Amino acid sequence: MKNISDQDIINSVLEGNESDYSIIVDRYKNKAFSMLRRMLKSDFDAEEVLQDCFLKAYYSLKNFKGESKFSTWFYKIVYNTALTKLSLKRRKIESEMSSVEDYFNLGSDYDFIDVEKKDLNDFIREIINKLPERHTAVISLFYLNEMSIEEISDVLQVSASNVKVMLYRARNSLRDLILNSKLAEEIS
Amino acid sequence: MIKITDDILNKYIDGELDPDEKKQVRSELQASEELQKRLNTLKLVHDTLFNLKEDEVSADFTREIMHKIGRKKFTVPKQQKYFIFSVAAFITILCLVVFGFSISAIISSSSPPIESLNVLDTVTFLSTGLIDFIRQIFSGKGLSIMGSVFSLVIIISGYFFFEMQKRSKANLGN
Repeated sequence: MKNISDQDIINSVLEGNESDYSIIVDRYKNKAFSMLRRMLKSDFDAEEVLQDCFLKAYYSLKNFKGESKFSTWFYKIVYNTALTKLSLKRRKIESEMSSVEDYFNLGSDYDFIDVEKKDLNDFIREIINKLPERHTAVISLFYLNEMSIEEISDVLQVSASNVKVMLYRARNSLRDLILNSKLAEEIS
Repeated sequence: MIKITDDILNKYIDGELDPDEKKQVRSELQASEELQKRLNTLKLVHDTLFNLKEDEVSADFTREIMHKIGRKKFTVPKQQKYFIFSVAAFITILCLVVFGFSISAIISSSSPPIESLNVLDTVTFLSTGLIDFIRQIFSGKGLSIMGSVFSLVIIISGYFFFEMQKRSKANLGN
């Protein structure tokens, strides 16, 4: 199953083999869920939005022309649906995400995390959830989905240089938190 | 000599610096322990992020999606709806015509009461043309043409119903 390309599966689905769509779902569900969970900060919302995304993608498969990778096209749906969900939740995401130059300070959130009791993986996992939605999305797409900067810029509809700024900013924040924590002593 | 900023360290990790810049960063790194610490921690973040495990959705997530897709697919397509509607309309019209013909035949054969003679005359007069037309259809050549049209309608309907059955079976399979 792993060797079958997304395009082959899509062609098969479009030819009437609807059940083949489950391969696509299995292929992307956990990665997309990870991204949504971090963006929406809720397991329930993430799963609900993900279901919506897979259904949207299924009913729009005819419109997928194969000009970009299926993953890019699908994550665009995921990202935009997540933003819609966030705006429905009346969060002020626009002011938070309108510019990559926006400042975010994780210091206050970081105080609540008992760093000593956590290993680095848990620590980073927890801190990622505190990042602004767009930065979280960049981290998820870059590291979990192993997308290139160009692909991420296509998904987020921002320039590649903005994606880099967001990626670097997220990394630097995580690094600064580690350097200021007791984990830094363990690491060094 | 360049000032080693966080951006440069990030680019260094991602391999985006040109050889000259790399060289300068390396020499700066050798000279500064603080810079080494910043870079090593950044690398550590980078590696940890790469090794983060995916979160998992609920076990029956895929099944639920496929079930929802199946449920929506079960709805009758528009073209089929139109076809079924037109067949039903045709049969209804045909039944009405036959019913009308029978009624008018019964009325014209029976002797009407005197007080309602005028009304019956009018009805008979108006329906004469229709009755002749129906007689033509159901006699001789007309009957065989009608039979052919009926057969064709039944065959096409049969095909569509077969398709619908196939779809519903496929949906149950999902």
